[in-house]
Amino acid sequence: MQIELEVNGETETFEASKSDSLLDVLRANGYTGAKRGCDTGACGFCTVHVDGDPTLSCVTPVTKAEGASVETIEGLGEQDDLHPVQQAFVDNTALQCGFCIPGMIMRSKALLDENPDPTEQEVREALSDNLCRCTGYKKIVEAVLDAADRMDVDRAVATDGGPPSDGDPPPDTAAGGTLDSGCPPGGCDCSGGEP
Amino acid sequence: MSDSDNASDLDDGPDGVRAEEEATGGTVEGAAREPDRKAPDEREAITTDEEKDDARQIVTGEARYTADYRDRFPDLAHGKVVRSDIAHGHVESVDTSAAEAMDGVYAVITPFDDVVPDTLYSSSGQSYPEPSPWDLTVLREHVRFVGDPVAAVAAEDPDTADRAARKVEVEYRERDAVFDPEAALDEDAPQLFETDDVENKQSGADYARNLESHFEGELGDVDAAFDAAEAGEGVHVVETEWETPYQSHCVPEPHATIAYTDEDDRHVFITATQVPFHTRRQISHLFDVPIRDVRVTKPRIGAGFGSKQEMAIEPITFALHLAAGRPVKLEMTRQEEFTALRFRHPMRMRMKTAVTEEGDIEAMDLYTLSNSGAYGTHGMTVANNVGTKPLPIYPRVPNVRFSGDVVHTNLPMGAAMRGYGAPQGHFAVESHMDEVARRLGLDPIEFRLRNAVREGDLDRSVAILKDDDRFERTIRSCGIRECVERGKEAIGYDDLDQPDEDHRHRGVGMALIAQGSGVAGKELGAAQVKMNEDGSFHLQVGGVDTGTGADTMFSQIAAEVLGCPPEDVVVVAADTDLTPFDYGAYASSTTYISGRAVKNAAEDAKERLLEWGATLLDEPPEVLDTGDGAVYSEETGNRVSLEEIGYEATYGDDEREHILGDGNHSTDESPPPYGAQFVDVTVNEETGEYDLNKLVFAADCGVAINPALVEGQIEGGEHMSLEYATSGGLSFDGEGNPEVQGFRQYGMPRTTDHPPMETILVETHEPTGPFGAKSIAELPTNGVPPALSNAIRDAVGVRLTELPFTDEDLRAALDARDGDD
Repeated sequence: MQIELEVNGETETFEASKSDSLLDVLRANGYTGAKRGCDTGACGFCTVHVDGDPTLSCVTPVTKAEGASVETIEGLGEQDDLHPVQQAFVDNTALQCGFCIPGMIMRSKALLDENPDPTEQEVREALSDNLCRCTGYKKIVEAVLDAADRMDVDRAVATDGGPPSDGDPPPDTAAGGTLDSGCPPGGCDCSGGEP
Repeated sequence: MSDSDNASDLDDGPDGVRAEEEATGGTVEGAAREPDRKAPDEREAITTDEEKDDARQIVTGEARYTADYRDRFPDLAHGKVVRSDIAHGHVESVDTSAAEAMDGVYAVITPFDDVVPDTLYSSSGQSYPEPSPWDLTVLREHVRFVGDPVAAVAAEDPDTADRAARKVEVEYRERDAVFDPEAALDEDAPQLFETDDVENKQSGADYARNLESHFEGELGDVDAAFDAAEAGEGVHVVETEWETPYQSHCVPEPHATIAYTDEDDRHVFITATQVPFHTRRQISHLFDVPIRDVRVTKPRIGAGFGSKQEMAIEPITFALHLAAGRPVKLEMTRQEEFTALRFRHPMRMRMKTAVTEEGDIEAMDLYTLSNSGAYGTHGMTVANNVGTKPLPIYPRVPNVRFSGDVVHTNLPMGAAMRGYGAPQGHFAVESHMDEVARRLGLDPIEFRLRNAVREGDLDRSVAILKDDDRFERTIRSCGIRECVERGKEAIGYDDLDQPDEDHRHRGVGMALIAQGSGVAGKELGAAQVKMNEDGSFHLQVGGVDTGTGADTMFSQIAAEVLGCPPEDVVVVAADTDLTPFDYGAYASSTTYISGRAVKNAAEDAKERLLEWGATLLDEPPEVLDTGDGAVYSEETGNRVSLEEIGYEATYGDDEREHILGDGNHSTDESPPPYGAQFVDVTVNEETGEYDLNKLVFAADCGVAINPALVEGQIEGGEHMSLEYATSGGLSFDGEGNPEVQGFRQYGMPRTTDHPPMETILVETHEPTGPFGAKSIAELPTNGVPPALSNAIRDAVGVRLTELPFTDEDLRAALDARDGDD
């Protein structure tokens, strides 16, 4: 059978069999960022977004996803232009073998989309269905809290329309440069977020 | 056994001399007289938090693991294994006709096929010949546990392979099974192996009693010491018993292998392995093909933790490939990981000590009974490490005995798992020491520090099972006391607030920890550095990054020597065709052994850089050094960039040279890293429930190369240790059927199960390690069970001795305590 999905904004048609999971179809068509860790919806490695909701693709029949909008890790950011959640995982060394990380990042992004300023406990609860064997979760939780700060900075910049229009370029995320951060307009040498 | 002269023998003998020569760079005269020891402000690359080299590929989903290579093979077949559903018996017949008749099935193999060798082998990824019995065949006619592989299928897609596998009909002649290791030793117990079922038997084997190995070693005279203690006054004898369960690696990426034969008729494996070179050798042995015709490559690997220090599924994949005549991919399911692959060995241990009233340990006697399960991979060596890792914490104890039995049962096979016997051993030894102190009225920490290792000690217990003193070692770096001091402060040891409620009690427990850095005398690492004309380098190294960040660490070590940024070192690793040899990623060897080989290779290349620099700067090489992307003169300050050297060496008019460096490392040394694990717990005396308030781990791993990655190792190791203490374990029904089939039944801690963790790095300098480094990866898997047992003892006065600690266990212990009052 053929199945139509919108993947990362592009409408695509895939060959599939009725018994295929969404994960089967994604992985067979080059979207291998989502990992197969258990095939029973118990580890979270296969987490993608379906119509905006974090979803375990290994237990989602592809027939149920017909016509849906699917967002995978491949649609998030690129190596030289990472999404703030991805950048925070890199900068906090919140990864080792990496097998759980695409799912962990998709779950984290869903949390931050819904709750831009979570407490540590809220992060831990949101990630409690995503297993990680390497990190002890400590740096992952720190990364998600850090990502929330970074996205908060981004939003502040967007709302303000950036710094005063005196010809300075807009600050990038890492350079801070918002009212919240206490940094001067145009950014400073601090690492952003904390003054 | 040795006498005290051995301390100086070790320092001055051939090994010591070689270590000194290598440590000073050997051939680079004057350039850096003691390049190993650098103050923090002299280091350029080694102790920075360099970004993990694959971090961006990982967070974008572009990192490719074995199963992600499917798109390279349009004609790929998918494998599926048929497994025994009985615990013990013989395959009478296999009917494959229904499976073979299915559309899309390419091959069905059984133990009776020509393509499936019946050669005996060990799946353990160890040195040659493996210190593990050769007791496996690729597929099993004699099945010894529920999950033993009997047949396998290759088909056009995974779904067809699954359906075909279910159509394979196996008839068994069932036999009685045995599941308890003590019962298995009985002469009337069902016997798993006939004598000629096994080659390469290990010491003390007696298969008539299901005994894979018996071992014992002694220093001094332990019986005399205990006799004297019983007869005299002022010496106390304390004996305790401990029990540990199976633990699953829960390896994130299930085992996966793609096997094919390329256009040059060479057999290629893309496989999730910690041991590519051992796997190459073992495939060669098993299938009788030349080593040169086998290529084993390791892509990104979704961690190993020892589960992939095994040639666990490569032989079945290769046999399927030979039968199907096309590339085959075999991926384990999570259910197979939990029922049929590899585990930490369950053990029962007995510890006995004689201790004076002042707290001097006169004698230690440790015995372990290890349940090896159905096969013997890593059986003896893991059990050996139950003693040889923790007993060296107390190297000055004059009388020490360590013995063990490794026994087969009809349950899944134990194997290598991070810690490798040390988690079991530390639970016994460090809980025991705490108990001794409390019974004698001594402070548990002071008691242990009184006896604990110091720099300069001669450690003989590490070699207690050896026939000679070759592997006794002098301790050259030891930060264990600073670990304890800083850990105490971080946990608030001296200032603990008790809860307001009368039935809630808070306590703190501590465990001292030690591990090794590689297997002494059984390691080899090698590396090559090649310079590119733009001043960058390719580093080819056999060492295996299992996700730890080892490749990044390698680039930092090379960069520190070559004077370039780590990102200018391109690491090509762990491919048996492309890189030098390495024993693989196990026994905490990668930084210490492979990292030292990298350093040696970089120093070899550096010698050539300095020669070229000398020519271009017209100064003698003795006054030159590398740094900041250049060769510079320490006398004149003149410099020539690595790029200028690269172009001149490659394209110069007068003379040309490809700047290369080779490095090897092998050694009899295995310096222990040390640590102190602290646990803060609150116990509800009414219910037996307990809450972990905080974990603190202070580690001495020498100089921590890339501290952020080191912290990650510690926090991840504590995670496994936390599971071992509180929630891990497998269970089986009365017929050996596994009751844990997946994550839902297994107690792997989640984000919400983790207490706050604080990590402390205590720097020492290990003179035999690369830039002073020792290992870190296994050390932190050893601490939580004893520290938690000790914390609960501190809080409510009861001793838990069997892992994992459940609320019910604690409640029962509290009831027993109150009944005794």
